[in-house]
Amino acid sequence: MRPLPNDDFAPAPRCVETGLNILVVGVGGQGVLMISKALALLAQRRGFEVKQSEVHGMAKRGGIVFSHVRFAPKVWSPTIAKGEADVLIALEWAEGLRWLDHLRPGRGVFIADTRRIVPPFACRSRKPGAPSAYARETPAEIVGRHADGCALDATEIATALGDARTANTVLLGRLSAWLDYPVGDWHAVVEAIAPKGTAEINRRAFDAGRAWTPPRTDIGDPGTADATVASPPLAALPDLHISVAIDPAWCKGCAICVKLCPERCLAMDGPIAVVATPSACTGCRVCEWLCPDFAVTVRNEGVPA
Amino acid sequence: MLEATRTLPFDIKDYLRLDTMPHFMCPGCGHGIALRALLAAVHDCGIDKDRLAVVCGIGCSGRVGGYIDANTFHTTHGRPLAFATGLKLARPDLTVVVVTGDGDCLAIGGNHLIHAARRNLDITCLMLNNEVYGMTGGQASPTTAATRLTSTTPSGAIEPVFDACALAAAAGAGFVGREVTRQAPALKTLIARALRHPGFAFVEVMSDCTEIYGRKNDLGEAPEMILSQKADMRPEARRDAPDQPFRPNALPTGVFVERDLPEYGERWRAHAAALRGETER
Repeated sequence: MRPLPNDDFAPAPRCVETGLNILVVGVGGQGVLMISKALALLAQRRGFEVKQSEVHGMAKRGGIVFSHVRFAPKVWSPTIAKGEADVLIALEWAEGLRWLDHLRPGRGVFIADTRRIVPPFACRSRKPGAPSAYARETPAEIVGRHADGCALDATEIATALGDARTANTVLLGRLSAWLDYPVGDWHAVVEAIAPKGTAEINRRAFDAGRAWTPPRTDIGDPGTADATVASPPLAALPDLHISVAIDPAWCKGCAICVKLCPERCLAMDGPIAVVATPSACTGCRVCEWLCPDFAVTVRNEGVPA
Repeated sequence: MLEATRTLPFDIKDYLRLDTMPHFMCPGCGHGIALRALLAAVHDCGIDKDRLAVVCGIGCSGRVGGYIDANTFHTTHGRPLAFATGLKLARPDLTVVVVTGDGDCLAIGGNHLIHAARRNLDITCLMLNNEVYGMTGGQASPTTAATRLTSTTPSGAIEPVFDACALAAAAGAGFVGREVTRQAPALKTLIARALRHPGFAFVEVMSDCTEIYGRKNDLGEAPEMILSQKADMRPEARRDAPDQPFRPNALPTGVFVERDLPEYGERWRAHAAALRGETER
């Protein structure tokens, strides 16, 4: 990181005198730490004591990616307890929902990217086109339940600016609208934190986030839910003909197919394997590939018109 | 040499001698999985059944060829590579595949393997390694891992084992790869690459002997054995240091060698033509 220009910051906390608890969450690799670094730097330059605590790198393999930023005249604990975050910034929609209980009831500000990054665990069934278990709440529903906040497609805004990776700066810009610090201070912080060669685009992303206005769906007004950020519709199941059959004359009952079927749709019937729940078959062909006796036949093809 | 990838869906029954099915192999034997992968690779490469010659030796692996509806040749113990060499030199238009086993290829036919690899004739050699002589009663083979029980090692094998891939590569094979039967689609892709390779291609297939080797060594039933392959394999090219002993239970899989070397058949024909021209003059 480059050395920081430190001179033109007067250590004079004004807008937030008692300090703030800000929780930044994401799926990993999105810039959670950059946001928290920017916040920490800004608070530090304003004369606050800052403590930051993070878990990173889990990249949605069932783990969590978060960063707690606490600043106040005096900070003891580096972590934010449940229900004590003043601001929750989510770089991914479902991650925002996961951490909602950390937000201060009635007063917390919820800022989230509506972009969905669906984790593998949301896949309930491996059938093509099967509904996913991803959160189905609409941004309007969620934001309406909270005192303040907004949900915006920051990734889309950043992509339009030319670099989807600046979505975190867009959200930082949005956050700046709630904190009454001079915009020049924010710009200086963003410039100091931004990776080499990206100061300009990060500055534009910050401004875009700061200037963002809700398309008549702002918070506290769930009646005017924006259709553009509605829950994704259930995909229609594609017209596929999937079937699995076992030839009893060729099966020798080694049970490889029964034990290795990921959907457990095969079973042993005495000395040979049979198809127990044909409807569960996704047509993955594991049984067909691994049957040493060529007794299993899987069909997975479009239904002829 | 070969046509473009065929787009028709693969149906194994097109490639089997249906009157010989079901085959004689034991329940859960990995050789059947390897046979499917071979036939699927043949299909993918668009090889005509009439232009395919499968040469087999003796043993469980030697019986694999007999179920293929193509030109198949059941030869003497350890000699399929020698027969295949003659066949390929006489009929260079055929795609010659040798299906052999660990004992057939490394013990009885070990000499033929190194010289076939050295000559680099365009043959694809599929070695089905189940670590035991299954058909003759479960004797220890050159790939039987240490401490394993067989009928000739009742108190556990103590001999070091052959790393067949390293052997073939050192002998000069142009293409060397290894895959486990658990990864049958990857095995098919590997065999297809070997079939397309112009020159001697050696593929070691880690297969399971469930009835004799697995039962005697308490390795579980067929599903447990095939599931344990996943823990045994290392899906990257060989990286271990040369001083490390070969460990069958920590296998690297994938393609270890792929190099363009002069193919023997072409050189042999050019040499023969040159000699003929000289005698005519």
